Amino acid sequence: MSVESGAESLAIEAVGLRKVFVDPRRGAVEALCGLDLDCRRGEIYGLLGPNGAGKTTTLRVLATLLAPTSGTARVDGIDVATDPLEVRRRIGFLSGTTGLYPRLSPRETLSYFGRLHGLEPEELQRRTEAILDRFGMREYADARCESLSTGQRQRVSIARAVLHDPPVLILDEPTTGLDVLASSAMIEFIESRRAAGTCVLFSTHVLSEAERLCDRIGVIFRGRLLAAGTLPELSQRTGKRWLADVFLELVRRGGPDPASASSAGEGGGAS
Amino acid sequence: MTGSGRSAEPSLFAATLLVARKELVTSFRDRQTTLYTLVLPIVLYPFLFWCMIQASLFLEGRREHTETRLGLAARESDLVPPGLAESLARDPHAVNQAGASIQGSEPRADPAHGELNSLSVLPLRAPLSLGEACAWLARRTGSRPASAAIEEPDAVLYLSPAEDGGRGRAEVFYDSSSTRSRIALARVQSRMPVFVRDLRARAAAEVDPNVGALEPFRRDPPRNVAPQPAMGAYILSYILPLLFVIMAVMGAFFPAVDLTCGERERKTAETTLLLPVPRTAVHLGKILAVCAAALIATGLNLSALALSAEHLLRMLPANSTVQVDVPVRALLQVAPLLLLFAFFVSSVLTGVAALARTFKEGQALLGPVQILFVLPALAGALPGVQLTPLLASIPVVNVVLCFRGLLRGEPMPLEYGITAASLGALSIAAIGLSLWTLSREALLVSGSESSWRDLLGILRSPGSTR
Repeated sequence: MSVESGAESLAIEAVGLRKVFVDPRRGAVEALCGLDLDCRRGEIYGLLGPNGAGKTTTLRVLATLLAPTSGTARVDGIDVATDPLEVRRRIGFLSGTTGLYPRLSPRETLSYFGRLHGLEPEELQRRTEAILDRFGMREYADARCESLSTGQRQRVSIARAVLHDPPVLILDEPTTGLDVLASSAMIEFIESRRAAGTCVLFSTHVLSEAERLCDRIGVIFRGRLLAAGTLPELSQRTGKRWLADVFLELVRRGGPDPASASSAGEGGGAS
Repeated sequence: MTGSGRSAEPSLFAATLLVARKELVTSFRDRQTTLYTLVLPIVLYPFLFWCMIQASLFLEGRREHTETRLGLAARESDLVPPGLAESLARDPHAVNQAGASIQGSEPRADPAHGELNSLSVLPLRAPLSLGEACAWLARRTGSRPASAAIEEPDAVLYLSPAEDGGRGRAEVFYDSSSTRSRIALARVQSRMPVFVRDLRARAAAEVDPNVGALEPFRRDPPRNVAPQPAMGAYILSYILPLLFVIMAVMGAFFPAVDLTCGERERKTAETTLLLPVPRTAVHLGKILAVCAAALIATGLNLSALALSAEHLLRMLPANSTVQVDVPVRALLQVAPLLLLFAFFVSSVLTGVAALARTFKEGQALLGPVQILFVLPALAGALPGVQLTPLLASIPVVNVVLCFRGLLRGEPMPLEYGITAASLGALSIAAIGLSLWTLSREALLVSGSESSWRDLLGILRSPGSTR
């Protein structure tokens, strides 16, 4: 099913992606206006942008939570519009709104997702035990998720997202709301996926995270990708040295006022 | 994705069952759902029945042990027939005359049980005008203290001559705001006919020794020839169908809210939508879980109710003549209809609850929907309403009337068929509508604001998730 020729190295590819929400108060709101994006296998790609720029909408479309209004998007070679189920089988998705089932234990959560992913019982058992050890979850493996700390929940969420060993990981602001220790664990986890050959696409507001982790960075603003490339490439293009300055320069070129643009683009659940 | 260790992805049916099982487990781990679906039926009915019977026995006992006084007054003393006071003081239903006493005479009481249904008749006051007789009663207080004057009556029997020179008049004055006065009235009303009958018999005997000619037949109470199980089925036919509808709706209520807007509130809705199975399986799994919860709640409610009623009704001697058997045959016949009805209710409640943003909003939305189910059920439970082919096509009413008919053993294949077809079609339509609602993309992106416009916006939004 994967596209192995031409764009064989692309794990995620979006061309002219548009998403229009119909708001009862404001009418049609265009959250994505022809966004182009490509992420390679084994690459960590950071999506930066102010609030309301369209980061979350992009990730939700790629995760098949939202259907694109027009344009195409492929994940691991599969079109999100025509075969969303197959896309869901090939991704791991984490965001602030993908909470854990509070009345299930971590072990039950892994078992539930594993069975729905079609894992054989023996394989599911093997992977569950391995993941419990790897993420240090054995101590609270049978406690209900509602009784876990934020950091423990984050580990369970990651475990849930990678249980089926997906070739693509999509993370929406994965460190938001986490303390230093939990954030550090998350960053280590993302780094570890590069070695495993997984494509990681994540959005963040924390520029230092992007600087440290990303092979390439894309700056999104008002539903369009303003620029994408390695940090040196973006620096060269903008003439700025630090990522914060690069980001501000790109946003300045992309619109009149980042602050006002930020507030104008928010709402309707799209960002 | 690595292919090792993977079997084929679960089929739509298997995925639906997996989702339903998980939703049911998590639903019953919620305290509120467990309380309303499992704990209440098991505890509530035995407790309610016990309380009702204890209260009934207590009130009856108090009523029997309540001592009452009757004031006897007349315009002229010769209007009072001899033996009236003694007859009124005597309880005609008592096997042992324990409570009969006349003021001034020796009180008779059963030392083991005390005085039952006691009506003490105060010494005659005559001559007395009507106004004075009323004033005699008006002096009394609602709750008579023990130290109250012994002459204060709870009711007054006033005898006066007829204005046209015919028969005399007997009037009872009582105070409807006083329990004791109402009890006294009831005792006078039950004893006066006995005295009048005896008086008539004595008068007739003086004229003609063949008293039987005046009343050639003894009037025995009517006899019910219905078999006891049939009587039980008749009573159940009014109670069970209505209870079934109410319990199915109540049983589906909390799971429907919990699995839809509850998920959104807990921020697990997106997690569920990311499951690697068709969304249809996810939504069907939810409806199936709600339906299972409704059936479990209904089963438990009816079982607890039946066991409580069977055990506790035996404590009441008055009810021991009715035999309430579990109508197994009727239940088996009605089971397919109940299953369809449970699916119908679950689909409607799940679809409506999905429109809410929070648990609280979901409860508020489902309140009126509950009434939409219960009101037709109440209409169907009215005595005299029969299942016709037309009524068999009206949802809720049809299942109540069909259930009622089956409990009474009435054959009605045509109406049963129409009811089943109607419920089946409605269930499918409701499931379809519920799936459509649950797949609205606007449910994911709507904010926390809540208005009718937002609600309509969700329904009118074009996007759906697959």
